Amino acid sequence: MHDLPWLLAPSDDFNERCIQLGRHQTPVAEVHALAKYALSINQANRLYQAIGKLTAETRSLLSRSLTPFRLGIVSNATMDLMIPSIVISAIRNGIDIEVVSTDFGQVAQEAFDAGSKLNTARLDAVLIALDYHAYPFLADQLSTSGEVLPSDKAFDYLKQIRDSFKQSGGMICIAQTLAEPPYEFGGNFDAQLDGLLRKSLTEFNRALVDDIRSSVDVLFDVAALVNMVGACQWFDERQWYLSRVPMANVFVPLYAEYLTKLVAALRGKSKKCLVLDLDNTLWGGVVGDDGLEGIQIGQGNPVGESFLAIQQWAKTLKDLGVILTVCSKNDENIALEVFRKHSGMLLKENDFAVFVANWEDKATNIRFIAETLNIGLDAMVFVDDNPAEREIVRTMLPELTVPELPKDSSQFLRILCAGRFFEKIDFTEDDAQRNAQYLSNARRQEIQKTAATLEDYLASLEMYISFSPFNELGRKRIVQLINKTNQFNLTTRRYTETDVLQFENDQQYVTLQIELQDKFGDNGMISVVICKVHQDRWDIDTWLMSCRVIKRRVEEAVCDQLVALARKSGISKLRGFYRPTEKNGLVKEHYRQLGFDCICSDESEDIWDLAVEHYQMKNPPITVRKSSVIQ
Amino acid sequence: MSQDKEAILDQLNSIFQDTFTEDNYSFSINTTRDDIEEWDSLSHIRLLTAIEANFGVQFDLDEIGNMIDVSTIVDLLHAKLA
Repeated sequence: MHDLPWLLAPSDDFNERCIQLGRHQTPVAEVHALAKYALSINQANRLYQAIGKLTAETRSLLSRSLTPFRLGIVSNATMDLMIPSIVISAIRNGIDIEVVSTDFGQVAQEAFDAGSKLNTARLDAVLIALDYHAYPFLADQLSTSGEVLPSDKAFDYLKQIRDSFKQSGGMICIAQTLAEPPYEFGGNFDAQLDGLLRKSLTEFNRALVDDIRSSVDVLFDVAALVNMVGACQWFDERQWYLSRVPMANVFVPLYAEYLTKLVAALRGKSKKCLVLDLDNTLWGGVVGDDGLEGIQIGQGNPVGESFLAIQQWAKTLKDLGVILTVCSKNDENIALEVFRKHSGMLLKENDFAVFVANWEDKATNIRFIAETLNIGLDAMVFVDDNPAEREIVRTMLPELTVPELPKDSSQFLRILCAGRFFEKIDFTEDDAQRNAQYLSNARRQEIQKTAATLEDYLASLEMYISFSPFNELGRKRIVQLINKTNQFNLTTRRYTETDVLQFENDQQYVTLQIELQDKFGDNGMISVVICKVHQDRWDIDTWLMSCRVIKRRVEEAVCDQLVALARKSGISKLRGFYRPTEKNGLVKEHYRQLGFDCICSDESEDIWDLAVEHYQMKNPPITVRKSSVIQ
Repeated sequence: MSQDKEAILDQLNSIFQDTFTEDNYSFSINTTRDDIEEWDSLSHIRLLTAIEANFGVQFDLDEIGNMIDVSTIVDLLHAKLA
């Protein structure tokens, strides 16, 4: 997996394209195209150097096409070698990463000194890149019983470092599990005896995973990564002894890719939707040619089992909140018959939020799926066994992720898994219900066709809204919405769980979390507002809403509520801000539509004011239910 | 120089072009670490990785430290590939 097989291999003229980058007509698009390839350390380094030589203007354009992230790194090893790969992988995953690195071995100094480089660098996160060498596991193996176990000692040390970075630097930590080197002493007994390396590492990892789950920090499961590729491949003693490089160099691109996928997930850039082809992707054979009885799927047939494994994978993803859809060149009836009648099929028709089987080109169909679900193409992964289809779709829809697959269907699953498209940093109630919600959405669209007017339609939805200030119950979902909402987002400010906790407790902020129900089900939390309190004015720092509920006048209900709250608090003015991004054109006129006046407008920001006393309540057809804000 | 060594030198040339992107230097059997400013301890690791992957060999711990000029690398590879 070190060569990232789900990505295309670089074109033969890769070096030449890097050299010509500065003279390219659209250098930003070219950087994106080059970064998408599976690049070795040398190739990533070449592209990194070429980007460094672009004009400041071009580099600023490149930054604007990406989401910024400032990452500090501390390590007991040499990490400098990895920086070009980390920066290029970050671009591949939509992030403009700025790495603030420290000399190796400076972990404790950086953490415990409040004035240290990292603690004062205003970082979004710090990567604590420690491997087993960082802790005295080997030296402590024969410590006598009664003393503190090496695993506890190591866990406490890391915990102190994490706490200190949080307190002194105000940042979250990305902490690594420890991979086990291929060393042992008593064979099978190593897993059993307290103090021996294998048992210590197992228990350290278990303790870390449990602790992280209930903290704001994030886990980088390096042990799982090494488990995938094999410890004898991963560890290269020569590199460690000579240069303190913690892994064989060939794995640097994979490590960098997984690190930046995690960072991208923190910024809400994990994929949300899986688009599946059918013939030779979900089953063996072509149903239109081979017939219902002729295709291979299910137990008892080697090829059928390999496709069943893929269906199992997709089903689990669905349970984790990924939206499943189908895009296939088939007659719809013939394709649907497989889901309805074939006993070997695990996936059923109602596992899919959108099912498109026709003879139009796939790019058009995938665009239709994106529009129906109201999500971006950059949030979708398209899986198709046919290289020609992949190629066409990639050309037509460059934002879409289209993994490479080998010819052998038994190898599909490991490559799809290794591609880590659906990196999760949390699991909320909303994730569990997502597919049900999107299915309800499809039904809502049916109603929309029959309802005479939009007003009738909205009234027929029987919507209930509720408001409450931020609290512990909603915190995880608030953080998730803040970091992944792109379209209905007025300022696109991203905040960590620590920040959100601060808004929750700070009297200088007024916060709202908004939930919506309708007759098809509970949409869960769909909107978040954060206001900064000034003397007689509230500045709306953040106003965002899930695209699942746009065009339903929910924002009007929210505005009514804000104004009511402001009046109650003796506030005379609300001030809104619109900060344009590539994705949020949808809300450019948001404040005008609500009756705000534009008082200032430039490239980076429009500022809007509303005199609260003159506001006309909008009273959309949404019933306010159990608001704990206004009693 | 033997034909074998010429062939090795040829492949090394393209690996060097891949590894060192910064400087203008002329590559030959006589090139040493002093001739290429970018050839520091970090890029040495990239060079090593590329050579090992390209020739399908693995250098010993003590050999890596001695690989400070092209002729030594050619000799090492020649011995390993024989």
